[in-house]
Amino acid sequence: MPKTDELLDVTEAVAPATVHPPERRRRRLARRPPPTTAVVTALGLAIAAFLLSGTPWLNGPAVAAWRTVCLAITVQALPFLLLGTALSGAINAFVPADLFTKVLPKRAVLAVPVAGLAGAVLPGCECASVPVANSLIRRGVTPAAAFAFLLSAPAINPIVLTATAVAFPGSPAMVLARLLASLATAAVMGWLWLWLGRTEWLRPVVRHTGHQHGHSRFTEFRLGFQHDFLHAGGFLVLGAMAAATFNVTVPRSVLDTFSGSPWLSVLFLAALAVVLAVCSEADAFVAASLTGFSPTARLAFMVVGPMVDLKLIALQAGTFGRAFAVRFSTATTVVAVAASVLIGGALL
Amino acid sequence: MKRTAQIALLILTGLGLLHTALFTDLYLRYVKEGLRPLLIVSGVLLLLLGLAHAAFDHDTGAKEDHDHGHDHSTAPRIAWLLFLPALSLLLYAPPALGAYTAAHAGSETVKQQKGFAALPATSPLPMTLTDFTTRVQQDKERAIRGRTVEMTGFVTPGQGGAWDLTRIIFTCCAADAQTVKIRMYGTPAPPANTWLAVTGTWHTQGALGTKSAAAALDVHGTRPIAQPVNAFTDDLPLTPTR
Repeated sequence: MPKTDELLDVTEAVAPATVHPPERRRRRLARRPPPTTAVVTALGLAIAAFLLSGTPWLNGPAVAAWRTVCLAITVQALPFLLLGTALSGAINAFVPADLFTKVLPKRAVLAVPVAGLAGAVLPGCECASVPVANSLIRRGVTPAAAFAFLLSAPAINPIVLTATAVAFPGSPAMVLARLLASLATAAVMGWLWLWLGRTEWLRPVVRHTGHQHGHSRFTEFRLGFQHDFLHAGGFLVLGAMAAATFNVTVPRSVLDTFSGSPWLSVLFLAALAVVLAVCSEADAFVAASLTGFSPTARLAFMVVGPMVDLKLIALQAGTFGRAFAVRFSTATTVVAVAASVLIGGALL
Repeated sequence: MKRTAQIALLILTGLGLLHTALFTDLYLRYVKEGLRPLLIVSGVLLLLLGLAHAAFDHDTGAKEDHDHGHDHSTAPRIAWLLFLPALSLLLYAPPALGAYTAAHAGSETVKQQKGFAALPATSPLPMTLTDFTTRVQQDKERAIRGRTVEMTGFVTPGQGGAWDLTRIIFTCCAADAQTVKIRMYGTPAPPANTWLAVTGTWHTQGALGTKSAAAALDVHGTRPIAQPVNAFTDDLPLTPTR
C-alpha cells in the first residue's frame, strides 16, 4: 500500500536523507511554481495586513464587491472540493496500487481510451490528477494512457459532471457535450503522444519508496485527504481571487464585443479558462455566469479549463519537466478547442 | 506549513463555514440557499479533520527541521491562502452585493414567456421585477395597463438624479449574479442600497406589450423595508418577522 502523499505530491515526498544529486535538482525544479509561491506569499501577507488593519478603502464598493465574489466562489466550491479530495484520498488509500496496470489493455492504442474512461473513477480536481498520473507512469502504465487519464480525470468525474448539471439546470445536453468533448480530447492527446511523443521531453523517472509501514489505512486516507484538500484549497483561493478580479474589473462591454462573434468568442473563452485557472469542480458555475456567450464557447471554457490553465502548467512543469509542459499544454489547448467546436456544434 | 498551522487552518475553516451556514444566515450573501446542508457537512468534516490531526498525529513535528521541512506531514505553502476565506468568514464577512455591482452590470434580458395567466385582482399587486418586465414587454393582452403594482428591491442611483429599483439574482453564487432593474420616475433618488417597497403604475414609454416598452414605473409611494432574507432570489420578499 503506497503512502498517499507519494501519489499526491511526489515532489515533496522525497525523504531528505536519500536525496541524490539528480533528485535534488529535480526537487528544485519541481518546486518551480515558485513565482506562484512568492506571489502568493506576498499577496497573502498584503491582504492579511489590510484585513487586520481594517483600512476604510477595504469597504469601498469595488473592493467590497471583489471580496464578496471571491469569498462566494470559495465557499460554494469548498463542499465540492472536500468531496473530491475525500474520494480521491479514499481511492488512493483503499484501492490496490496495481489495479490500473492490471485493468488496462496491454496494447497502448487500446489502453489510451480505457485510461481516459477510467478518469471517471478518480474524482478530484486537476491539481490532484497531475501527481496521480506521474505515479501511474512510475508503476509502469504507458505514458500515453497516463496522460489520457490526467486530462480526463478532472473533467469527466461524477462530481464535476454533477456540478455542471447543477450549474446548467435544464440543459442536460451541456453535461453530455462536456463529457464527450473531454473524453475525445483526452483520447486524441493520448494517441498523439503515441505517434509523436518523445520520452526525452519527460524528466527521467525517479524511483523511490514512500511507503511507510505501521500506518493504518484510515490514517493514510485521512492524511492524504487533508494534504490534498489543503493543496487544492490554496489553489482554489488563488483561482477565486483571479476570477473575482476579472468579475469585478472587466466591464461587461468587453465581454459583449467578443460574445458577438461566434469564432472569437470560442477562442476568447478558451483563453479565459487558461488565465482564470478555476478549479474544475467550480468552473461550470463560472461558465454559467458568462451568459452573453454561445453554448459552444462556454463548452470550450469547461473543456479547456480542467486540462490547461496557469496552475496546471506550473504543476506539470514541476512534475514532468518544462519541455513537456509547454508542448503538451499547447497541443491540448488546440485539440480541446477543436473538440468543443465539433461536439458543441453537433449537440448544443 | 507546519502541523499547528494545519490544525488551525482546518478548524478555522470548519468554524467559518458553520458560522456562516449554521449559526447565521450570512451564507445567503454568497451562495444560494440549496447549498446550506453541504456547507454544514463540510464545516463539520473540516472541524473533525482538524481535531483528529491534533489528537492523533503527534510524531511528525520532529522531522520538519531537516532541509526545508518538506516531508509527508507538511502541506504546501499555497495552503496559507485558505486562511483568508476562513478568517474573512469568521471576523470580517464582506457585505452583500449591492448598487456598485448593479450599476456595472448590464440589465438582464428577460426570458421569452409563452402565455400569461390573468392578473390577480388585489391592489396594489405584489410582483417581482422580472415578472413586471416580462408583463410590460411581452403580454399582448396588456393586462398590466392601469394596474397599481408593488415591487421590492434596493436603490441603484443612475446618472442625473435617475434611479433604478434593483434586484440581484444568484443562480448559484455571487460570481454569477445577474441584475434586474426597473427605472423609477416621479421621486428623487433615495440613498444607494436602501431597500424599498415601491408602489406605482407603468411609466408610459414605448408600446406596451412589445420590446419597445420601457421597464419603468411612475412611483406613487415608497416604504423602507428591511432587507429580505431571500434578497438574492427572484421571489416576492420574505421579510424577517421579529
